[in-house]
Amino acid sequence: MNHDPQHRANEEEIQPLSLHKIVRIAVRGIKVRIWRSVLVVSGIVLAMAFLSYILCSDAFARNVLEYGSRDLIRHLTAEGIINLETIADQRVQTYWVAGLALLISLAGIMNAMLMSVTERFREIGTMKCLGALTGFIMKLFLIESLFAGVLGTTLGLIIGFGLAYVEGYFTYGGEVTALFPPLHLLLSILFCFITGILLTLLGAVYPARLAAKMSPVMALRSEM
Amino acid sequence: MNPQQDTHPEAFNVNADSSELGQTREKDPAIVTRTLAAPFVVRAKGLKKIYKMGEETVHALNGVDFNVKRGEYISIMGPSGSGKSTLFNMIGGLDKPNEGRIYIDDVDIASLDTLELAWLRCHKIGYIFQSYNLIKVATALDNVMLPMTFAGKQQAEAQDKAVYLLEQVGLGDRVLHKPLEMSGGQQQRVACARALANDPSIVLADEPTANLDSKTGEEIINLLREINEKQNVTIITATHDHKMLAVSDRIAWVRDGRMDRIQERADIKITKGEMHGI
Repeated sequence: MNHDPQHRANEEEIQPLSLHKIVRIAVRGIKVRIWRSVLVVSGIVLAMAFLSYILCSDAFARNVLEYGSRDLIRHLTAEGIINLETIADQRVQTYWVAGLALLISLAGIMNAMLMSVTERFREIGTMKCLGALTGFIMKLFLIESLFAGVLGTTLGLIIGFGLAYVEGYFTYGGEVTALFPPLHLLLSILFCFITGILLTLLGAVYPARLAAKMSPVMALRSEM
Repeated sequence: MNPQQDTHPEAFNVNADSSELGQTREKDPAIVTRTLAAPFVVRAKGLKKIYKMGEETVHALNGVDFNVKRGEYISIMGPSGSGKSTLFNMIGGLDKPNEGRIYIDDVDIASLDTLELAWLRCHKIGYIFQSYNLIKVATALDNVMLPMTFAGKQQAEAQDKAVYLLEQVGLGDRVLHKPLEMSGGQQQRVACARALANDPSIVLADEPTANLDSKTGEEIINLLREINEKQNVTIITATHDHKMLAVSDRIAWVRDGRMDRIQERADIKITKGEMHGI
Protein backbone atom coordinates (compact mmCIF):
# COMPACT_ATOMS: atom_id res chain seq x y z
CA MET A 1 0.00 0.00 0.00
CA ASN A 2 1.25 3.46 -0.81
CA HIS A 3 1.58 5.67 2.24
CA ASP A 4 2.79 8.75 0.43
CA PRO A 5 0.78 11.60 2.01
CA GLN A 6 -0.08 13.21 -1.31
CA HIS A 7 -1.31 9.89 -2.51
CA ARG A 8 -3.47 9.44 0.52
CA ALA A 9 -5.01 12.87 0.18
CA ASN A 10 -6.57 11.82 -3.08
CA GLU A 11 -8.11 8.77 -1.52
CA GLU A 12 -10.10 10.48 1.16
CA GLU A 13 -13.22 8.98 -0.29
CA ILE A 14 -12.07 5.44 0.43
CA GLN A 15 -12.11 6.07 4.15
CA PRO A 16 -13.27 2.88 5.80
CA LEU A 17 -16.87 3.03 6.95
CA SER A 18 -17.43 4.08 10.54
CA LEU A 19 -17.91 1.30 13.06
CA HIS A 20 -21.33 2.67 13.85
CA LYS A 21 -22.42 2.23 10.25
CA ILE A 22 -21.01 -1.28 10.03
CA VAL A 23 -22.82 -2.25 13.23
CA ARG A 24 -26.04 -0.93 11.69
CA ILE A 25 -25.51 -2.97 8.55
CA ALA A 26 -24.63 -6.03 10.66
CA VAL A 27 -27.74 -5.68 12.83
CA ARG A 28 -29.88 -5.34 9.72
CA GLY A 29 -28.20 -8.43 8.30
CA ILE A 30 -29.01 -10.42 11.43
CA LYS A 31 -32.62 -9.20 11.48
CA VAL A 32 -33.42 -10.00 7.87
CA ARG A 33 -31.78 -13.39 8.13
CA ILE A 34 -33.48 -14.05 11.43
CA TRP A 35 -34.06 -17.79 10.99
CA ARG A 36 -30.54 -18.33 9.79
CA SER A 37 -29.31 -16.31 12.77
CA VAL A 38 -31.49 -18.34 15.13
CA LEU A 39 -29.94 -21.51 13.74
CA VAL A 40 -26.40 -20.21 14.24
CA VAL A 41 -27.22 -18.97 17.73
CA SER A 42 -28.92 -22.23 18.71
CA GLY A 43 -25.78 -24.13 17.67
CA ILE A 44 -23.79 -21.96 20.03
CA VAL A 45 -26.48 -22.29 22.74
CA LEU A 46 -26.36 -26.09 22.59
CA ALA A 47 -22.59 -26.27 22.70
CA MET A 48 -22.33 -23.77 25.53
CA ALA A 49 -25.18 -25.36 27.50
CA PHE A 50 -23.31 -28.65 27.36
CA LEU A 51 -20.00 -27.14 28.43
CA SER A 52 -21.45 -24.99 31.19
CA TYR A 53 -23.57 -27.85 32.50
CA ILE A 54 -20.48 -30.06 32.87
CA LEU A 55 -18.44 -27.32 34.50
CA CYS A 56 -21.21 -26.05 36.77
CA SER A 57 -22.16 -29.45 38.08
CA ASP A 58 -18.47 -30.07 38.74
CA ALA A 59 -18.35 -26.75 40.58
CA PHE A 60 -21.35 -27.79 42.69
CA ALA A 61 -19.62 -31.06 43.55
CA ARG A 62 -16.48 -29.22 44.59
CA ASN A 63 -18.47 -26.75 46.64
CA VAL A 64 -20.11 -29.63 48.47
CA LEU A 65 -16.75 -30.91 49.55
CA GLU A 66 -15.53 -27.50 50.63
CA TYR A 67 -18.61 -25.88 52.10
CA GLY A 68 -21.12 -28.70 52.58
CA SER A 69 -22.25 -29.65 56.09
CA ARG A 70 -20.86 -32.83 57.66
CA ASP A 71 -24.32 -34.34 57.60
CA LEU A 72 -24.63 -33.85 53.88
CA ILE A 73 -21.23 -35.34 53.12
CA ARG A 74 -21.90 -38.31 55.40
CA HIS A 75 -25.27 -38.81 53.75
CA LEU A 76 -23.81 -38.56 50.23
CA THR A 77 -21.03 -40.98 51.09
CA ALA A 78 -23.52 -43.46 52.51
CA GLU A 79 -25.59 -43.18 49.34
CA GLY A 80 -22.45 -43.83 47.29
CA ILE A 81 -22.77 -40.52 45.43
CA ILE A 82 -19.36 -39.39 46.52
CA ASN A 83 -16.48 -41.59 47.42
CA LEU A 84 -13.68 -39.70 49.12
CA GLU A 85 -11.13 -42.30 48.08
CA THR A 86 -11.79 -42.08 44.35
CA ILE A 87 -12.55 -38.39 44.25
CA ALA A 88 -9.24 -37.55 42.60
CA ASP A 89 -9.95 -40.00 39.76
CA GLN A 90 -13.39 -38.53 39.32
CA ARG A 91 -11.89 -35.06 38.98
CA VAL A 92 -9.64 -36.27 36.15
CA GLN A 93 -12.66 -37.82 34.49
CA THR A 94 -14.55 -34.57 34.73
CA TYR A 95 -11.71 -32.72 33.04
CA TRP A 96 -11.77 -35.23 30.22
CA VAL A 97 -15.47 -34.69 29.74
CA ALA A 98 -15.05 -30.93 29.93
CA GLY A 99 -12.27 -31.11 27.34
CA LEU A 100 -14.52 -33.15 25.12
CA ALA A 101 -17.34 -30.67 25.60
CA LEU A 102 -14.94 -27.92 24.57
CA LEU A 103 -14.01 -29.76 21.39
CA ILE A 104 -17.65 -30.35 20.54
CA SER A 105 -18.39 -26.67 21.10
CA LEU A 106 -15.49 -25.69 18.86
CA ALA A 107 -16.64 -27.96 16.06
CA GLY A 108 -20.29 -26.93 16.41
CA ILE A 109 -19.67 -23.22 16.53
CA MET A 110 -17.07 -23.20 13.77
CA ASN A 111 -19.37 -25.18 11.57
CA ALA A 112 -22.24 -22.78 12.14
CA MET A 113 -20.04 -19.78 11.38
CA LEU A 114 -18.40 -21.37 8.37
CA MET A 115 -21.78 -22.12 6.85
CA SER A 116 -23.16 -18.68 7.46
CA VAL A 117 -20.14 -17.13 5.72
CA THR A 118 -19.74 -19.51 2.81
CA GLU A 119 -23.39 -19.29 1.85
CA ARG A 120 -22.79 -15.59 1.38
CA PHE A 121 -19.69 -15.76 -0.85
CA ARG A 122 -21.63 -14.44 -3.78
CA GLU A 123 -22.96 -11.56 -1.77
CA ILE A 124 -19.42 -10.78 -0.63
CA GLY A 125 -18.17 -10.86 -4.23
CA THR A 126 -20.92 -8.48 -5.24
CA MET A 127 -20.09 -6.13 -2.40
CA LYS A 128 -16.43 -6.17 -3.40
CA CYS A 129 -17.39 -5.27 -6.96
CA LEU A 130 -19.36 -2.35 -5.59
CA GLY A 131 -16.28 -1.09 -3.79
CA ALA A 132 -16.38 -2.77 -0.37
CA LEU A 133 -12.99 -2.97 1.32
CA THR A 134 -11.54 -6.18 2.74
CA GLY A 135 -11.62 -4.61 6.20
CA PHE A 136 -15.31 -3.81 5.90
CA ILE A 137 -16.21 -7.41 5.14
CA MET A 138 -14.02 -8.70 7.97
CA LYS A 139 -15.57 -6.27 10.44
CA LEU A 140 -19.09 -6.99 9.23
CA PHE A 141 -18.72 -10.71 9.84
CA LEU A 142 -16.88 -10.32 13.12
CA ILE A 143 -19.53 -7.99 14.49
CA GLU A 144 -22.30 -10.29 13.35
CA SER A 145 -20.58 -13.24 14.99
CA LEU A 146 -19.92 -11.25 18.13
CA PHE A 147 -23.65 -10.62 18.50
CA ALA A 148 -24.37 -14.30 17.89
CA GLY A 149 -21.58 -15.27 20.30
CA VAL A 150 -22.75 -13.07 23.18
CA LEU A 151 -26.39 -14.02 22.77
CA GLY A 152 -25.75 -17.74 22.26
CA THR A 153 -23.25 -17.99 25.09
CA THR A 154 -25.52 -16.18 27.54
CA LEU A 155 -28.50 -18.36 26.70
CA GLY A 156 -26.37 -21.50 26.78
CA LEU A 157 -24.96 -20.54 30.15
CA ILE A 158 -28.40 -19.99 31.60
CA ILE A 159 -29.58 -23.37 30.33
CA GLY A 160 -26.40 -25.20 31.44
CA PHE A 161 -26.42 -23.60 34.85
CA GLY A 162 -30.14 -24.27 35.23
CA LEU A 163 -29.65 -27.96 34.45
CA ALA A 164 -26.74 -28.24 36.84
CA TYR A 165 -28.78 -26.48 39.53
CA VAL A 166 -31.78 -28.76 39.09
CA GLU A 167 -29.53 -31.78 39.17
CA GLY A 168 -27.80 -30.39 42.24
CA TYR A 169 -31.12 -29.79 43.93
CA PHE A 170 -32.06 -33.45 43.57
CA THR A 171 -28.63 -34.67 44.66
CA TYR A 172 -27.78 -32.31 47.46
CA GLY A 173 -31.26 -31.28 48.52
CA GLY A 174 -32.02 -27.80 49.81
CA GLU A 175 -28.40 -27.25 50.69
CA VAL A 176 -27.64 -26.49 47.05
CA THR A 177 -28.42 -22.79 47.53
CA ALA A 178 -26.02 -22.72 50.44
CA LEU A 179 -23.34 -23.84 47.95
CA PHE A 180 -23.78 -20.65 45.92
CA PRO A 181 -21.00 -18.41 47.24
CA PRO A 182 -18.64 -20.06 45.27
CA LEU A 183 -15.43 -19.29 43.64
CA HIS A 184 -15.61 -22.49 41.63
CA LEU A 185 -19.03 -21.71 40.24
CA LEU A 186 -18.09 -18.14 39.36
CA LEU A 187 -14.90 -19.26 37.69
CA SER A 188 -16.74 -21.91 35.70
CA ILE A 189 -19.32 -19.41 34.48
CA LEU A 190 -16.67 -16.85 33.60
CA PHE A 191 -14.65 -19.50 31.80
CA CYS A 192 -17.68 -20.62 29.78
CA PHE A 193 -18.59 -17.06 28.86
CA ILE A 194 -15.14 -16.13 27.61
CA THR A 195 -14.68 -19.48 25.88
CA GLY A 196 -18.03 -19.19 24.10
CA ILE A 197 -17.28 -15.77 22.67
CA LEU A 198 -13.70 -16.64 21.80
CA LEU A 199 -14.79 -19.80 20.01
CA THR A 200 -17.41 -17.87 18.04
CA LEU A 201 -14.91 -15.24 16.97
CA LEU A 202 -12.35 -17.90 16.15
CA GLY A 203 -14.94 -19.73 14.12
CA ALA A 204 -15.77 -16.55 12.23
CA VAL A 205 -12.25 -15.20 11.64
CA TYR A 206 -11.10 -17.94 9.32
CA PRO A 207 -14.05 -18.02 6.92
CA ALA A 208 -14.37 -14.21 7.07
CA ARG A 209 -10.71 -13.79 6.10
CA LEU A 210 -11.17 -16.33 3.36
CA ALA A 211 -14.18 -14.45 2.04
CA ALA A 212 -12.75 -10.97 2.43
CA LYS A 213 -9.48 -11.76 0.69
CA MET A 214 -11.04 -13.69 -2.13
CA SER A 215 -10.89 -11.91 -5.45
CA PRO A 216 -14.35 -10.71 -6.45
CA VAL A 217 -14.31 -12.88 -9.57
CA MET A 218 -13.79 -16.03 -7.54
CA ALA A 219 -16.45 -15.08 -5.03
CA LEU A 220 -18.93 -14.32 -7.81
CA ARG A 221 -18.20 -17.58 -9.53
CA SER A 222 -18.88 -19.69 -6.44
CA GLU A 223 -22.25 -21.38 -6.39
CA MET A 224 -24.94 -20.11 -4.09
CA MET B 1 -25.64 14.19 -11.16
CA ASN B 2 -23.41 15.34 -13.93
CA PRO B 3 -21.26 12.67 -15.44
CA GLN B 4 -20.08 15.05 -18.13
CA GLN B 5 -18.03 16.76 -15.51
CA ASP B 6 -15.79 13.73 -15.59
CA THR B 7 -15.77 13.29 -19.29
CA HIS B 8 -15.11 16.71 -20.78
CA PRO B 9 -11.52 16.80 -21.95
CA GLU B 10 -11.35 20.61 -21.65
CA ALA B 11 -11.91 20.46 -17.95
CA PHE B 12 -8.70 18.63 -17.34
CA ASN B 13 -6.09 20.43 -19.34
CA VAL B 14 -4.67 22.28 -16.36
CA ASN B 15 -1.49 20.26 -15.99
CA ALA B 16 -1.47 18.45 -19.26
CA ASP B 17 2.00 19.76 -20.11
CA SER B 18 3.78 16.72 -21.41
CA SER B 19 7.03 17.52 -19.61
CA GLU B 20 5.24 17.21 -16.31
CA LEU B 21 3.49 14.04 -17.17
CA GLY B 22 6.27 11.60 -16.49
CA GLN B 23 6.64 12.95 -12.99
CA THR B 24 2.98 13.08 -12.22
CA ARG B 25 2.40 9.57 -13.35
CA GLU B 26 4.89 8.33 -10.85
CA LYS B 27 3.46 10.44 -8.10
CA ASP B 28 -0.19 9.80 -8.41
CA PRO B 29 -2.36 8.05 -10.95
CA ALA B 30 -5.37 10.04 -9.76
CA ILE B 31 -3.75 13.30 -10.81
CA VAL B 32 -2.99 11.88 -14.20
CA THR B 33 -6.65 10.94 -14.49
CA ARG B 34 -7.64 14.52 -14.05
CA THR B 35 -4.98 15.99 -16.26
CA LEU B 36 -5.38 13.60 -19.11
CA ALA B 37 -8.93 12.86 -20.04
CA ALA B 38 -8.11 11.01 -23.21
CA PRO B 39 -10.70 10.06 -25.80
CA PHE B 40 -10.27 6.47 -24.72
CA VAL B 41 -11.74 5.38 -21.43
CA VAL B 42 -10.12 1.94 -21.66
CA ARG B 43 -6.80 1.23 -23.34
CA ALA B 44 -5.38 -2.26 -23.41
CA LYS B 45 -1.99 -3.13 -24.88
CA GLY B 46 -0.65 -6.62 -25.44
CA LEU B 47 -2.79 -8.21 -22.74
CA LYS B 48 -1.77 -11.74 -21.86
CA LYS B 49 -3.30 -13.94 -19.25
CA ILE B 50 -2.14 -17.41 -18.44
CA TYR B 51 -3.97 -19.74 -16.11
CA LYS B 52 -2.40 -22.83 -14.67
CA MET B 53 -4.85 -25.68 -14.44
CA GLY B 54 -2.94 -28.51 -12.86
CA GLU B 55 -0.08 -29.27 -15.23
CA GLU B 56 -1.65 -27.53 -18.15
CA THR B 57 -1.26 -23.85 -18.90
CA VAL B 58 -4.17 -22.14 -20.55
CA HIS B 59 -3.56 -18.98 -22.54
CA ALA B 60 -6.81 -17.20 -21.90
CA LEU B 61 -5.57 -14.03 -23.56
CA ASN B 62 -2.81 -13.98 -26.12
CA GLY B 63 -1.84 -10.39 -26.68
CA VAL B 64 -5.00 -8.34 -26.99
CA ASP B 65 -4.94 -4.69 -28.05
CA PHE B 66 -8.20 -2.96 -27.45
CA ASN B 67 -9.43 0.61 -26.99
CA VAL B 68 -12.82 1.78 -25.86
CA LYS B 69 -13.89 5.32 -26.72
CA ARG B 70 -15.44 7.49 -24.09
CA GLY B 71 -19.20 7.41 -24.27
CA GLU B 72 -19.53 4.57 -26.75
CA TYR B 73 -21.65 1.45 -26.49
CA ILE B 74 -19.45 -1.52 -27.29
CA SER B 75 -20.28 -5.20 -27.24
CA ILE B 76 -17.69 -7.92 -26.82
CA MET B 77 -18.77 -11.08 -28.60
CA GLY B 78 -17.15 -14.47 -28.64
CA PRO B 79 -17.81 -18.10 -27.93
CA SER B 80 -17.29 -19.38 -24.40
CA GLY B 81 -13.65 -20.16 -23.76
CA SER B 82 -12.56 -17.42 -26.16
CA GLY B 83 -11.12 -15.27 -23.39
CA LYS B 84 -14.06 -12.90 -23.52
CA SER B 85 -14.78 -13.16 -19.81
CA THR B 86 -11.11 -12.74 -18.91
CA LEU B 87 -10.85 -9.60 -21.00
CA PHE B 88 -14.09 -8.37 -19.53
CA ASN B 89 -12.93 -8.95 -15.96
CA MET B 90 -9.73 -7.04 -16.65
CA ILE B 91 -11.63 -4.05 -17.95
CA GLY B 92 -13.62 -4.20 -14.74
CA GLY B 93 -10.53 -4.20 -12.55
CA LEU B 94 -11.45 -7.65 -11.26
CA ASP B 95 -8.42 -9.40 -12.72
CA LYS B 96 -4.88 -8.41 -13.60
CA PRO B 97 -2.97 -9.40 -16.73
CA ASN B 98 0.26 -11.43 -16.61
CA GLU B 99 1.67 -9.28 -19.37
CA GLY B 100 0.67 -6.09 -21.08
CA ARG B 101 -1.01 -3.01 -19.75
CA ILE B 102 -4.58 -1.99 -19.22
CA TYR B 103 -5.51 1.60 -18.47
CA ILE B 104 -8.88 2.63 -17.19
CA ASP B 105 -9.30 6.38 -17.33
CA ASP B 106 -5.54 6.43 -17.91
CA VAL B 107 -4.79 4.63 -14.68
CA ASP B 108 -2.70 1.49 -15.01
CA ILE B 109 -4.68 -1.23 -13.25
CA ALA B 110 -1.54 -3.22 -12.44
CA SER B 111 -0.11 -0.32 -10.41
CA LEU B 112 -3.06 -0.19 -8.02
CA ASP B 113 -3.12 -1.80 -4.62
CA THR B 114 -6.26 -3.41 -3.18
CA LEU B 115 -7.48 -0.18 -1.63
CA GLU B 116 -7.10 1.75 -4.87
CA LEU B 117 -8.73 -1.04 -6.83
CA ALA B 118 -11.70 -0.93 -4.47
CA TRP B 119 -11.88 2.82 -5.05
CA LEU B 120 -11.79 2.32 -8.80
CA ARG B 121 -14.56 -0.27 -8.67
CA CYS B 122 -16.61 1.93 -6.43
CA HIS B 123 -16.34 5.21 -8.34
CA LYS B 124 -15.38 4.49 -11.92
CA ILE B 125 -17.16 1.29 -12.78
CA GLY B 126 -20.74 0.12 -12.49
CA TYR B 127 -21.38 -3.60 -12.76
CA ILE B 128 -24.39 -5.41 -14.14
CA PHE B 129 -24.32 -9.19 -13.84
CA GLN B 130 -26.00 -12.00 -15.68
CA SER B 131 -27.77 -13.20 -12.54
CA TYR B 132 -28.43 -9.66 -11.22
CA ASN B 133 -26.51 -10.32 -7.98
CA LEU B 134 -28.68 -8.11 -5.88
CA ILE B 135 -28.39 -8.51 -2.12
CA LYS B 136 -31.39 -10.75 -1.64
CA VAL B 137 -32.29 -9.67 1.87
CA ALA B 138 -32.19 -5.95 1.10
CA THR B 139 -34.83 -3.81 -0.58
CA ALA B 140 -34.33 -2.31 -4.04
CA LEU B 141 -33.61 1.01 -2.32
CA ASP B 142 -30.95 -0.49 -0.03
CA ASN B 143 -29.37 -2.29 -2.98
CA VAL B 144 -29.00 0.94 -4.92
CA MET B 145 -27.78 2.78 -1.83
CA LEU B 146 -25.05 0.24 -1.06
CA PRO B 147 -22.37 1.51 -3.48
CA MET B 148 -23.03 5.05 -2.25
CA THR B 149 -22.58 3.89 1.34
CA PHE B 150 -19.24 2.38 0.32
CA ALA B 151 -18.33 5.69 -1.31
CA GLY B 152 -19.02 7.46 1.98
CA LYS B 153 -22.07 9.41 0.88
CA GLN B 154 -24.47 10.77 3.49
CA GLN B 155 -27.46 8.55 4.15
CA ALA B 156 -30.12 11.12 3.21
CA GLU B 157 -28.35 12.16 0.04
CA ALA B 158 -27.82 8.53 -0.96
CA GLN B 159 -31.47 7.76 -0.37
CA ASP B 160 -32.70 10.64 -2.52
CA LYS B 161 -30.41 9.64 -5.32
CA ALA B 162 -31.37 5.96 -5.06
CA VAL B 163 -35.06 6.85 -5.32
CA TYR B 164 -34.31 9.09 -8.30
CA LEU B 165 -32.35 6.34 -10.05
CA LEU B 166 -35.05 3.75 -9.40
CA GLU B 167 -37.61 6.14 -10.89
CA GLN B 168 -35.35 6.57 -13.91
CA VAL B 169 -35.35 2.82 -14.56
CA GLY B 170 -39.12 2.70 -14.15
CA LEU B 171 -39.32 1.19 -10.68
CA GLY B 172 -40.53 4.22 -8.76
CA ASP B 173 -43.38 2.15 -7.31
CA ARG B 174 -41.20 -0.77 -6.24
CA VAL B 175 -38.61 1.01 -4.16
CA LEU B 176 -39.24 -1.04 -1.04
CA HIS B 177 -39.63 -4.41 -2.72
CA LYS B 178 -37.05 -7.11 -2.15
CA PRO B 179 -35.43 -8.87 -5.12
CA LEU B 180 -37.44 -12.06 -4.68
CA GLU B 181 -40.66 -10.05 -4.92
CA MET B 182 -39.66 -8.81 -8.36
CA SER B 183 -39.43 -10.34 -11.81
CA GLY B 184 -36.08 -10.97 -13.49
CA GLY B 185 -36.45 -7.91 -15.66
CA GLN B 186 -37.25 -5.74 -12.67
CA GLN B 187 -34.27 -7.12 -10.76
CA GLN B 188 -32.03 -6.30 -13.67
CA ARG B 189 -33.44 -2.76 -13.70
CA VAL B 190 -32.52 -2.44 -10.03
CA ALA B 191 -29.03 -3.67 -10.98
CA CYS B 192 -28.87 -0.96 -13.68
CA ALA B 193 -29.84 1.69 -11.13
CA ARG B 194 -27.24 0.32 -8.72
CA ALA B 195 -24.57 0.41 -11.42
CA LEU B 196 -25.23 4.13 -11.92
CA ALA B 197 -25.18 4.98 -8.21
CA ASN B 198 -21.72 6.57 -8.09
CA ASP B 199 -21.82 8.16 -11.57
CA PRO B 200 -19.29 5.75 -13.06
CA SER B 201 -17.35 6.39 -16.27
CA ILE B 202 -18.01 2.85 -17.41
CA VAL B 203 -20.92 0.48 -16.98
CA LEU B 204 -19.88 -3.14 -17.46
CA ALA B 205 -22.69 -5.51 -18.29
CA ASP B 206 -21.83 -9.21 -18.30
CA GLU B 207 -24.44 -11.08 -20.34
CA PRO B 208 -27.14 -8.82 -18.93
CA THR B 209 -29.92 -10.42 -20.95
CA ALA B 210 -28.91 -14.09 -20.69
CA ASN B 211 -31.37 -14.89 -17.90
CA LEU B 212 -34.24 -12.92 -19.40
CA ASP B 213 -36.84 -13.74 -22.02
CA SER B 214 -36.50 -12.07 -25.38
CA LYS B 215 -38.91 -9.20 -24.76
CA THR B 216 -37.61 -8.34 -21.29
CA GLY B 217 -34.06 -8.65 -22.61
CA GLU B 218 -34.87 -6.11 -25.28
CA GLU B 219 -36.23 -3.73 -22.67
CA ILE B 220 -33.00 -3.98 -20.70
CA ILE B 221 -30.97 -3.41 -23.87
CA ASN B 222 -33.02 -0.31 -24.63
CA LEU B 223 -32.59 0.88 -21.07
CA LEU B 224 -28.82 0.48 -21.36
CA ARG B 225 -28.84 2.41 -24.63
CA GLU B 226 -30.91 5.14 -23.00
CA ILE B 227 -28.47 5.35 -20.10
CA ASN B 228 -25.62 5.49 -22.57
CA GLU B 229 -27.17 8.33 -24.57
CA LYS B 230 -28.66 10.39 -21.76
CA GLN B 231 -25.80 10.23 -19.31
CA ASN B 232 -22.92 9.79 -21.71
CA VAL B 233 -21.73 6.72 -19.81
CA THR B 234 -19.54 4.25 -21.65
CA ILE B 235 -21.28 0.89 -21.83
CA ILE B 236 -19.31 -2.29 -22.35
CA THR B 237 -21.20 -5.54 -22.60
CA ALA B 238 -20.16 -9.13 -23.03
CA THR B 239 -22.96 -10.90 -24.77
CA HIS B 240 -24.29 -13.66 -26.96
CA ASP B 241 -27.47 -11.75 -27.58
CA HIS B 242 -27.75 -10.64 -31.20
CA LYS B 243 -30.32 -8.03 -30.25
CA MET B 244 -27.48 -6.25 -28.52
CA LEU B 245 -25.67 -5.76 -31.82
CA ALA B 246 -28.42 -3.52 -33.14
CA VAL B 247 -27.75 -0.88 -30.49
CA SER B 248 -23.97 -1.20 -30.14
CA ASP B 249 -21.73 1.41 -31.70
CA ARG B 250 -19.01 -1.17 -32.15
CA ILE B 251 -18.70 -4.90 -31.80
CA ALA B 252 -15.46 -6.55 -30.76
CA TRP B 253 -15.06 -10.20 -31.66
CA VAL B 254 -12.79 -12.25 -29.45
CA ARG B 255 -11.53 -15.61 -30.60
CA ASP B 256 -8.88 -17.92 -29.12
CA GLY B 257 -7.54 -15.28 -26.80
CA ARG B 258 -7.14 -12.72 -29.56
CA MET B 259 -9.08 -9.76 -30.83
CA ASP B 260 -10.44 -11.19 -34.04
CA ARG B 261 -11.90 -8.00 -35.42
CA ILE B 262 -13.74 -4.88 -34.39
CA GLN B 263 -16.70 -3.77 -36.44
CA GLU B 264 -18.66 -0.55 -36.57
CA ARG B 265 -22.41 -0.97 -36.40
CA ALA B 266 -22.73 0.42 -39.90
CA ASP B 267 -20.71 -2.52 -41.21
CA ILE B 268 -23.23 -5.01 -39.97
CA LYS B 269 -26.45 -5.42 -41.81
CA ILE B 270 -29.22 -6.77 -39.73
CA THR B 271 -32.33 -8.09 -41.30
CA LYS B 272 -35.17 -9.96 -39.68
CA GLY B 273 -33.72 -12.78 -37.63
CA GLU B 274 -30.68 -12.95 -39.80
CA MET B 275 -27.36 -11.24 -39.80
CA HIS B 276 -24.94 -10.60 -42.57
CA GLY B 277 -21.37 -9.59 -42.52
CA ILE B 278 -20.51 -11.53 -39.39
